[in-house]
Amino acid sequence: MAISFTLNGKAQSVDVSPDMPLLWVLRDTLNMTGTKFGCGMALCGACTVHINGEATRSCITAISSVAGKKVTTIEGLSADGSHPVQQAWMEEDVPQCGYCQSGQIMSAVALLTKKPSPTDADIDDAMSGNICRCGTYQRIRKAIHRAASMKGGKAKSAA
Amino acid sequence: MSSNVTRRVFLKTSVAAGVSLVVPFYWRSHAGPSAKAAASPGASFAPNAWLEIAADGEVKIWCGKSEMGQGVRTALPMIVAEELCCDWQRVHVVQADLNAKHGEQLTGGSLSVRTSYDNLRKAGAAARAILLSAAATQWNVPVSECRTENSFAIHTPTHRELAYEKLIAAASALQPPADPPLKNPSEFTLIGKPTRRTDTKLKITGAAKFGLDTRVPGMLFALVERSPVYGGTPRRFNADELKSAPHVRAVIELKSAHLTHQFGDTSGPGSRNYTCAGVAVVADSTWAAMQARKLLKVEWNEPPSASESTASLREKMLQLASEPGAVIRTDGDFEKAHADCAKKIEAVYEVPFLAHATMEPMNCTAHVRNGECELWAPTQVPGAAADSVASALGIPRERVKLHVTFIGGGFGRRLIQDYAVEAALISREGGAPVQVVWSREDDIRHDFYRPAAVHVLHAGLDAQGQLVSWRHRGSSPSIDTFYNGSGISPQAAAQVESLDFPALFVPNFRLEFAVAESVMPLGYWRSVSASGNQFVLSSFFDEAAHAAGRDPLEFLLAAFGPARKIPVGDGQPLDVGRRRAVVELVAEKSHWHQALPAGRGRGIAVGFGWGSYVAQVAEVTCDAKQSTLRVDRVVCAIDCGIAVNPLGVKAQMESAINFGLAQTLKSAITVSGGKVDQSNFHDYEVLRMNDAPPIIEVHIVPSTDPPGGCGEPGVPPVAPAVANAIFAATGKRVRRLPIRADLRSA
Repeated sequence: MAISFTLNGKAQSVDVSPDMPLLWVLRDTLNMTGTKFGCGMALCGACTVHINGEATRSCITAISSVAGKKVTTIEGLSADGSHPVQQAWMEEDVPQCGYCQSGQIMSAVALLTKKPSPTDADIDDAMSGNICRCGTYQRIRKAIHRAASMKGGKAKSAA
Repeated sequence: MSSNVTRRVFLKTSVAAGVSLVVPFYWRSHAGPSAKAAASPGASFAPNAWLEIAADGEVKIWCGKSEMGQGVRTALPMIVAEELCCDWQRVHVVQADLNAKHGEQLTGGSLSVRTSYDNLRKAGAAARAILLSAAATQWNVPVSECRTENSFAIHTPTHRELAYEKLIAAASALQPPADPPLKNPSEFTLIGKPTRRTDTKLKITGAAKFGLDTRVPGMLFALVERSPVYGGTPRRFNADELKSAPHVRAVIELKSAHLTHQFGDTSGPGSRNYTCAGVAVVADSTWAAMQARKLLKVEWNEPPSASESTASLREKMLQLASEPGAVIRTDGDFEKAHADCAKKIEAVYEVPFLAHATMEPMNCTAHVRNGECELWAPTQVPGAAADSVASALGIPRERVKLHVTFIGGGFGRRLIQDYAVEAALISREGGAPVQVVWSREDDIRHDFYRPAAVHVLHAGLDAQGQLVSWRHRGSSPSIDTFYNGSGISPQAAAQVESLDFPALFVPNFRLEFAVAESVMPLGYWRSVSASGNQFVLSSFFDEAAHAAGRDPLEFLLAAFGPARKIPVGDGQPLDVGRRRAVVELVAEKSHWHQALPAGRGRGIAVGFGWGSYVAQVAEVTCDAKQSTLRVDRVVCAIDCGIAVNPLGVKAQMESAINFGLAQTLKSAITVSGGKVDQSNFHDYEVLRMNDAPPIIEVHIVPSTDPPGGCGEPGVPPVAPAVANAIFAATGKRVRRLPIRADLRSA
């Protein structure tokens, strides 16, 4: 049975098994590979997307639960990397291998939506579910503070 | 790499001294079709395998190494662009696929900049030389009156300018010089300038294509249930039952296949360098394959060594390290000198197995058809991947085509090519392009692990508190016998380095090693044996300093003695001045002599290898009960010779420190019945944001020495710096990693 939701601002319908996680719908059914597979158990945050604005681990989110909701992925944050959080990531030269960064950025955007001027403790709380094996944590902290201080940094979620 | 450099010699010397290796430098006769077409109007200028200038002035520069986060797609093109004198803003970096024209494409050993530096400079300079010559001819002036700047040739006396793209036709007709003039480093405008990465935009928009992002029309997805014990084989499995599961296309038994080593050496008897046998489930999507795999029931034949546990291996290593082992180095007379010592210390140090746990799990996409194989591989060694696949498929290597993708973390795991062989074998049987996807559980349980080790150390001080005797007996499974077989010499099998400090700085020194057999598959984990050994060496050295009642920094500098160069056989001489300089710099920047409040402490540690010199000071807070530990700050000084991209060097040190902190504080692989106990990030813990020190400072020593490596040398000093800081804060000596577990058990 087809399941309909809003994906990056556009109507989307998929006909897949209702228990298929959103992650695999995005990656295998829709070929949107910006959202990453890291652990399959919501332990690493690489698959983070926004569902109705909330940072959500798409690897354990059944597609059936997404019906009628608004999903934003890294591809939907901006067309050209111009979102303030992406800009801050550029300024701080954050990514190394880059694999975790889609999830890091989605978690950071959600944090800034709730707390426009987060403290280091807020960042630790909000970001400790996102693992980076390259160890870009200090730069992520700086980039979040930078995004917070940028005009328009009060993070918008494109959906 | 020169074929007469054996892998072992290579590893040893590269770690100890930083060898410069010869990479073939290919000229236009080896260049691709674009060079042949270059003479026609509107075509491009492609004088060699590394660069191409298009009619619109865009400069393509090929990166011959794999980008796994270390920044090669920035640093290597910078070297070409520097000598080419082109506009960096117009450079477009292209990832090289596997191709002989790009020379050795192995990406490991912190070698990329070191081994590419001279050749990439020449490639850029040769192109610049003929562009300049073409401009001079056009102006009918001597070349000596012309210069280049920012993608222009300029006639200095008349200020006439010609953009590089206007010189394409004329330059394409000229033969590049074999030995072009190179810039004096004082003229560098790009090398040495902090430069942002070229791949960031791709990585913040989700556009970067990693191995797992490969999409090929008609492709299928496979997951593999591998033998829980390395070396086991499937006895029987329920293939028929599975084939009727939704979206399942095939169920395929995978036998162990031999792997080609990264350095292409031949494996002797006893080598265990092969893929893990298993059963592949092939389906229409990753999810369908994952679901079907849950229905798979496999009975396994297990090897006799399957009885191994962490406890049994530890007992074996402890026994071996308590007895004389193979002598790796001996200076003076340890027994005699030690007997006469005024004060003696001894200690046992232990480190566990470690998994790499790259964020992108292992994977590869392969399409086998008509006796050919095309691969999309996140690999550190495209050549070994192609060799391994050709061998497993029984086809000539020339019939394997390999595309190098972005890599979501390597750390040495992707020096091994098992995922590529699996993908190729499954694609052949499945008759379609196949992406083999490893779950995180597969990744943690079927790694090639950093060996566990036990070290027993003795040291002695004379009446003046001078360190006069040092004996180090180590035991661990051997990466070298794992790959090369049991016939190699004890020296080759040893997982300790004969030149590692304090070797050469203690008059009566003895280093011994005994191989402990293990069922576990072994591999190269960022900084290899130094990752554990430096914890042992810099910690026990700190113990000696405290035993002597001396400040650890002063004790270290006193042991080094004055700046000088010490010859060490065929390698680069050991430069004591550079060692002292990083230690003195880190001491200054960390305010070593400034007192800290109670419950806080500083520790210092060093690491010298891969052509670079690193010293780190960690600052920690331990609470009164010692049950909590926070790393507040790590200060790092590095001398890596010329820092091609200081921003990249800084990023690599930050990365190495956080990576090293994971093994320091959290990570361990344990074994029961020959099987790995851990499975995902809940039980194989790595560093998270809330563990990461608020401050990491990196200080780069200005240098005109040839570039050293940067990927690995920052890792080894972290653990001992933290352990030494804990001792300074609490008086408790940590001798086992990860530290947090040790504190809990205290």
